Amino acid sequence: MGKMHILIVDDDQIVLDSCKRVFEAEGFEVYLVSDAIKALEVLEHTTFDLLLVDVKMPEYDGIDLMRMIKKKWPQLPIILMSGYPTHETMEAGAQNGAAQFIDKPFTPEELIKTVRMVMKHEK
Amino acid sequence: MFYSTRSKLIASFLGVSFLVGAVSLFVGGHLLYKAFISETTNRIRLELNTAREIYLNRIKGVEVALNTTTLGSGFRFALKNQDARELITRLTRLAQQAGLDFAGIVTREGTTLCRIGPHPVPTRKTQVSNPIAHLTLKERAPRSGTVVLSGEFLWAENPGLADRAMIRVLPTPRAAPIGEEEETSGMALAAAIPVFEGTKLLGVLYGGVLLNRDISIVDQVRDTVFQYEMYEGRNIGTATIFFKDLRISTNVLNPDGERAIGTRVSKEVSEHVLTAGEQWTGRAFVVNDWYITAYEPIEDIFGERVGMLYVGILEAQYADIRNKALSVFILLTIASIALAIMLGYFLGHKIMRPVHRLIEASNEVSHGNFSPQFGPVSKSEIGVLQKTFAEMLTSLQEHDKRIKAESEIKLVQSEKQASVGRLAAGVAHEINNPLTGILTFTHMLLKRKDISDDVRSDLRTVAQQTERVRKIVKSLLDFSRQTELNPKQIDINRVVSTAVLLMRNQALVKGVSLKFKPGEGIPLLTLDANQMQSVLLNLLLNALDATKRGDSINITTGMGIAGNEDRSMGVEIHVKDTGCGILPENLDKLFDPFFTTKEVGRGTGLGLAVSYGIVQRHGGTIRVQSEIGKGSTFIVWLPLEEHHGENAHTHR
Repeated sequence: MGKMHILIVDDDQIVLDSCKRVFEAEGFEVYLVSDAIKALEVLEHTTFDLLLVDVKMPEYDGIDLMRMIKKKWPQLPIILMSGYPTHETMEAGAQNGAAQFIDKPFTPEELIKTVRMVMKHEK
Repeated sequence: MFYSTRSKLIASFLGVSFLVGAVSLFVGGHLLYKAFISETTNRIRLELNTAREIYLNRIKGVEVALNTTTLGSGFRFALKNQDARELITRLTRLAQQAGLDFAGIVTREGTTLCRIGPHPVPTRKTQVSNPIAHLTLKERAPRSGTVVLSGEFLWAENPGLADRAMIRVLPTPRAAPIGEEEETSGMALAAAIPVFEGTKLLGVLYGGVLLNRDISIVDQVRDTVFQYEMYEGRNIGTATIFFKDLRISTNVLNPDGERAIGTRVSKEVSEHVLTAGEQWTGRAFVVNDWYITAYEPIEDIFGERVGMLYVGILEAQYADIRNKALSVFILLTIASIALAIMLGYFLGHKIMRPVHRLIEASNEVSHGNFSPQFGPVSKSEIGVLQKTFAEMLTSLQEHDKRIKAESEIKLVQSEKQASVGRLAAGVAHEINNPLTGILTFTHMLLKRKDISDDVRSDLRTVAQQTERVRKIVKSLLDFSRQTELNPKQIDINRVVSTAVLLMRNQALVKGVSLKFKPGEGIPLLTLDANQMQSVLLNLLLNALDATKRGDSINITTGMGIAGNEDRSMGVEIHVKDTGCGILPENLDKLFDPFFTTKEVGRGTGLGLAVSYGIVQRHGGTIRVQSEIGKGSTFIVWLPLEEHHGENAHTHR
């Protein structure tokens, strides 16, 4: 398997930076965007192996984004991130085809573990 | 209610007063009066005796005077010689000395020899029958006594006497119907003494006093007997000599203040005394007034009842005394009634005031004022009632305070829950992103080989403390998260048993006795078993933390009534430990998020807050009773309501 391409969508720069730092250390190719619209734009011309999407975002939130993506690229695995996981978001995420959930904050190990688990499952 | 008690008191006092008053009036008015009357009747009987003595003495006096005269030799000589002139001189002197109204000599043959007065020597016209002298001639012995003298006799003796004797009969109330309109005969006290020369009768000396209009005897009786006793300007004592039923000599006065000569005795008395010849005493109407009287018949020298002797005491003074006594008694009665009313009123007021105050106080209590005033504590039995009431008030006040405090805590608690929940959600969300950064970069730094051990150690501390923050934020989120309940019908005893089972090993290691006594007959509850489990685990963990080796934790379940206003029925779980207890100032902070008394890093201060939220979402309550050094009891109350609702529904 070649280099992993991961798109990370979060409105908070520190989360993007953290993820980038962890994934680059693992040798992944990382693409960072701060909202759903930008994510959709990027997706139009770039292919990714995995998406890491924050649930709570202004305008379109993680769930909305996931719905839109799944319409066009149903096979694209998406991991939902949340600093405030509720029963409702988990349920909505699961129904719309989220591959996995990860609670913020997470350690680098937890993040890698989750990503690898999803990727393994996808194969 | 208390007015009626007072009224009853007054009524009973009044009753007593009336009774006493009535008895007083009866005793005073009747018995006393009767006693007076009987006393007076006795007295008047004695007075009548005195009056009779005086009357008889007067007769005796006449007899003695005449007798003395007959013994004089000059008189005998003159009589023997029939010397009328000499005899008249002597008789005139005698009459003057002895106070005689008439005197004279009757010859052996029965004719009048001479007499004092205007007809000293009788003519045919003045020669009239002399009843007493004739009796003496017949019996040849001295005679004295009462004698009825005809108008002719009196006229012959002295026309003045006839005038004195003549009495016009006056109509008198209560007297027998009038027989004659004028009385011309007179009644006299007279004596006749035969004068003998040897055995030869020389003649008879007679003399006497006409009683008609004479006042000497009756006034003597009055003055002797009653000693000038007066009542309202009148002599209270009266005496009368009756000729038949006619007053001929009296000091009873008519309404004009004159002696009531010519008036007559009442028919009743007349029948008793004159007709039947009895003594009569009692109350009688005399002329125009009531007297206590005594009458007795007067017999003349022939033994015939010719008149009556009377004494009487004006009843008015006794009636007056009675009236005075009555008015005193009436006054006393009125005074005692007034006293009774006042006494009843004040006593009633005094007795009933504390009771009344208690009633008012109870009313106030029923309207929610638990500290009403009911006045000073009385020393009587009411004091006991007051004390009991005060004790009752104290416990009511305490209960009320507790209820208020509890409900205030609950209210504040649920407000706190809501606001803290919202705050926690926002804070947690914002903190988690920077925490991700800190965690990521700390861990990435730790992976580097080119750092010194000191730096690595410091970085580990940063990582550890960040982990701690992460944990706190997670608890905070747990607390604020409005997780949906997953309710099922479940046996609460099973939930408790599972939690106890999970904690058993920890308790064993610590050396604390952990016991569960499941209550019987507890209905199934509809609740989220997992959440309730975490509540129980949290309570048991807290209990274990509060206890040391040798202490005990006892869990019981049972039915219980809610501590709130609804007072609805539910199930209670008691978790009771014998641990260190909770400081009173900490009690109301117990369920606050982040409040903990445990050492730093050990407790998050969210366990009870989360538990509280869970129980509250089940419609239940958690309350705590604690005493420093003795331990604490956490009581979880869960409602039966839903269950009941279903039942009610199916039954319908």
